Amino acid sequence: MRIRRPIVAAGCCPVIALASCAPQPANSQGAEVKTLYDIFTIIAAVIFVIVAGLIAWSIVRYRAKPGDNELPDQFHSNVKLEILWFAIPTFIVIGLFVVSAIALGTVNDEADDPAAVVNVQGFQWGWRFDYEGSDVSIISRPDEPAQISLPVGEPVTFVITSNDVQHSFYIKEFLVKRDAVPGRENRLPVTIQEEGTYGGVCAEFCGLLHYDMPFIINAVPVDEYETWLEDQASEQASD
Amino acid sequence: MSAVDTTVERTSPPDDLHEGGRTGLLDYATTTDHKKIGILYIYASMFFFFVAGLLALFMRAELAEPGLQILDNQTYNEFFTMHGTAMMLFFIVPLAIGFANYFIPLHVGAPDVAYPRVNALTFWLFLLGGLTAFSGFFTSGGAAAFGWTGYVPLSDSTYSPGAGGDLWIVGLALTGVSGTLGAVNFVATIFGMRAPGMTMFRLPIFVWNMLVVSALILFTFPVLTAALAMLFIDRNFGGGFFDPAQGGDPILWQHLFWFFGHPEVYIAILPFFGVITEIIPVFSRKPLFGYRGFVLATLLIGAYSFSVWAHHMFTTGAVDGPFFSATSMLIAVPTGIKFFNWISTMWRGKIRFASPMLFSMGFLFMFLMGGVTGVFLASPPIDFATHDTYYVVAHFHYVLFGGSVFAVFAGLYYWGPKIWGRMFDERLARIHFWLMLVGFNLTFFPMHQLGLDGMPRRYADYSAESGWQPLNVVATVGAFITALAMVVFVVNFVKMRRSGAPAGDDPWGGYTLEWATSSPPPHHNFTRLPRIRSERPVFDEKHAEELEARSNRENRKSGTDERRNTEDRRG
Repeated sequence: MRIRRPIVAAGCCPVIALASCAPQPANSQGAEVKTLYDIFTIIAAVIFVIVAGLIAWSIVRYRAKPGDNELPDQFHSNVKLEILWFAIPTFIVIGLFVVSAIALGTVNDEADDPAAVVNVQGFQWGWRFDYEGSDVSIISRPDEPAQISLPVGEPVTFVITSNDVQHSFYIKEFLVKRDAVPGRENRLPVTIQEEGTYGGVCAEFCGLLHYDMPFIINAVPVDEYETWLEDQASEQASD
Repeated sequence: MSAVDTTVERTSPPDDLHEGGRTGLLDYATTTDHKKIGILYIYASMFFFFVAGLLALFMRAELAEPGLQILDNQTYNEFFTMHGTAMMLFFIVPLAIGFANYFIPLHVGAPDVAYPRVNALTFWLFLLGGLTAFSGFFTSGGAAAFGWTGYVPLSDSTYSPGAGGDLWIVGLALTGVSGTLGAVNFVATIFGMRAPGMTMFRLPIFVWNMLVVSALILFTFPVLTAALAMLFIDRNFGGGFFDPAQGGDPILWQHLFWFFGHPEVYIAILPFFGVITEIIPVFSRKPLFGYRGFVLATLLIGAYSFSVWAHHMFTTGAVDGPFFSATSMLIAVPTGIKFFNWISTMWRGKIRFASPMLFSMGFLFMFLMGGVTGVFLASPPIDFATHDTYYVVAHFHYVLFGGSVFAVFAGLYYWGPKIWGRMFDERLARIHFWLMLVGFNLTFFPMHQLGLDGMPRRYADYSAESGWQPLNVVATVGAFITALAMVVFVVNFVKMRRSGAPAGDDPWGGYTLEWATSSPPPHHNFTRLPRIRSERPVFDEKHAEELEARSNRENRKSGTDERRNTEDRRG
C-alpha cells in the first residue's frame, strides 16, 4: 500500500513531457512540422494515458493481499483480444504515416523560381554563404558569425554542402535541418513568414568547435533585402 | 507428448565442482563452464557500465554551466564517444550475453552450452576488445573522439589522426567477432540441447528472445566488422571507400553503420523484454498471457528491424522516400502490443512487488515513454526538427536506460539469488529503485524540452544566452542522484555476497527450470529435471495437485468447457 501513490505519480508525470511544445515556427515549412508535431502529441498523449493507466490500475488493483496464498485464475490467452490489439495500433500507425508522408511532401516542396538561392558550405568551424546570381559571399570568422539577410514571404532555397567533414544546417525556429555532406548538394526550401533575427547552429558533430558555429539570418521585407544584397555586392567588389 | 515422458534423472560426477581441482582466479581464467563465463560477463560488463557512467557524470558536470570548466572540448568529445561506445557495445549487449550464458542452458535443461570452449573465447575476445578501445586514453592523441557512430570523414585519418581511432576500430572488431561466435553458440544450444519435453513452444520467453537476438547478431555484426575494416583501410592504407575525392561516399558508412546499428538497438532491448517477461508472470502468479502471440511479435520485430535503419539518416538528404518512415512506424506495433501481453498477465493476478517486479514496473513506464517518442522520430518532418538534438538523446535513454538498464537490475535482483545463492537486502533494493527512478527522470525528462528548444547533442559547451542552462542543471542533479542509486546497489551487492540470507533453490516461486536446481547450480546444472509439459515445468510440479483439483472441478461444473482445458495444458 505504501508505494502505490508514488508509482502512479511516476507513471503519469511523463505526460507533461508530451505536452511540451516545439518553438513557434518562423516559416511555412516549420508551421507544417509544428502542426504535425501537435497531431502526434495529441494521439501519443491519449495512447500514453491509456496504457500507463492500465499498468497503474493493474499495479493498484491486483496487488496480492497479505496472507492470500491461493493461486489466481490461470488464464492463458484470448485470440480475439490479441487480434484486436494488433489491429488497432496498426491502423493508428498507418494513419500517422499518411499524415506524416503528406507533410513530408509539403515540407520538401521547392518553388520553381525561388526569390533567392543560397549556396551554403559548412566547414570546420563556420559557414560560407554564396548568393546565386550575384557575387555576394559571406563567411564566418572566429568570434564573428556570418550574418545574412533573406526576404520575408518569398520562397528561398538553400543548397547545402561541406568541404571537409559533415555538418548540419539548423535553425531551431525553422523546425527543419539538413546535413552538409561532402560530395553532395542538399536542397532545403524555406519560406520565412515572420520578420526577425534567427540564430543558426551546427547540429551534426564535426569536431572540436562543433558547439561554436553560430550564424545569423535576418529576415527582412523584400525591398530591404534587395538593398542589402546590392550593398553587399558593391562592398565586396570594392574590397 | 506421450505419458512415458517422465522425470529425467541426471547425475553429475561428485568431484566436478571445480574443473581439474583449480580454484579462485585461475579457475575463472581457464573455465569453460557457462555459469562462470556468465558471471565473468556480468562482472566485466558492469565494470564498463560504471566506467561509462563515470564519463557521463563528468559530461553532466561540465554542462551544468556555460563555459568550459572541468573538461576541455577534446576530452569532452573523447568522453561522450567512449560513453556511447561502452554503453552500447561493452555493457548492455555483453550483460545480456552474460544472462544468456548463465540461463539459456539452465532454461533448456542442458548441462552447458553447445561449444563451451568457443564460449570462453568469446568472453576473452570481448574483454580484450573493450580494453583495447579504452586504451586510446593512454595514447598521446587520446581516445577516439568522433562519436560512437564514427561518421566519416570526421573519423578518417585527416580529421582524426592518432592511434585512438585505430584502437577503437580494433576494439569494436574484436567485440564483433566475440558477439558473432556467441550467437552461433546460443543458436546451437537452443536448437540442439533442449531436454526431453522442452519443445520450442515451451521455451522460456527469455530464450526465444535470445534466439532472435542471436539471429540479429549473426546478420548484422559481420556488416559492422566489414565497415570497420573499410574504415581501417581508409585510415591506414589510403583506401577511398568513404572519400568523395576518390570516388567514395561518406553516406555509405552511414548505411553500413546503421544497417548494423539499428538491429543493434533491438539486440540491446530484446533480451530485456525477455527478462521482464520472465519476471512479470512469476510475480503475478499467472502464466504469460498470449505466449504464442508474444513469440510472433518478437519474430516480427526481428524481421522488421532490418528494414528501418535509414530513419537515422532522414536529414542526410540521401533517403528521400517515406519507405523507412513506414517501416519504422510499423515496428512500433509488435513492440507496442507486448505492453498488452504484460498488462493482461498482471490482470486479475496476485502481484507481489519484490525488487525484481518493482524494477520491471519501472521498465514498463519508462520504456513506454521511449517507445512513444520513437514514433515521433519515425516521422521525417518531425525528425527534421528534432534530429541530432537532445530530444533524440532523451528518446534513446528512455529506451536503453529507462528500458534496458531498469531490466538489467530487475534481472540481477531476480537471478542474483540463483547465481550467488544469497538474497539481496530488499530495503536497500527499494532505495536503489526509487533513487534511480527519480534520478533518471530528472536527467532525461528535461532533455525532451532542451531538444525542442534547439540544443544539439554532442555540445561540449553552450552560450549563456541560449537559455538552456536551467534544464541542464536539473539534468546534472538527476545524473548525480542516479550515481547515488548505483552506490546503493554496490553496497547491496557487497552485503549480499558477505551476509545475504541463503536463497534456497526457489525463492520467488519461479516457473522455469533454473529454479529446479540448487542455488548456485552444480557444475553440470541438474541432478534431476521435472517433467516438462508446459512453459512452466517447475510451477506445474509444485502445484500439480491444486491444478488437477481445479481442472476436475471445472470439468464437473461444465463438461463442455473443453477449449479452456486444452488451453490450460497448452505448452
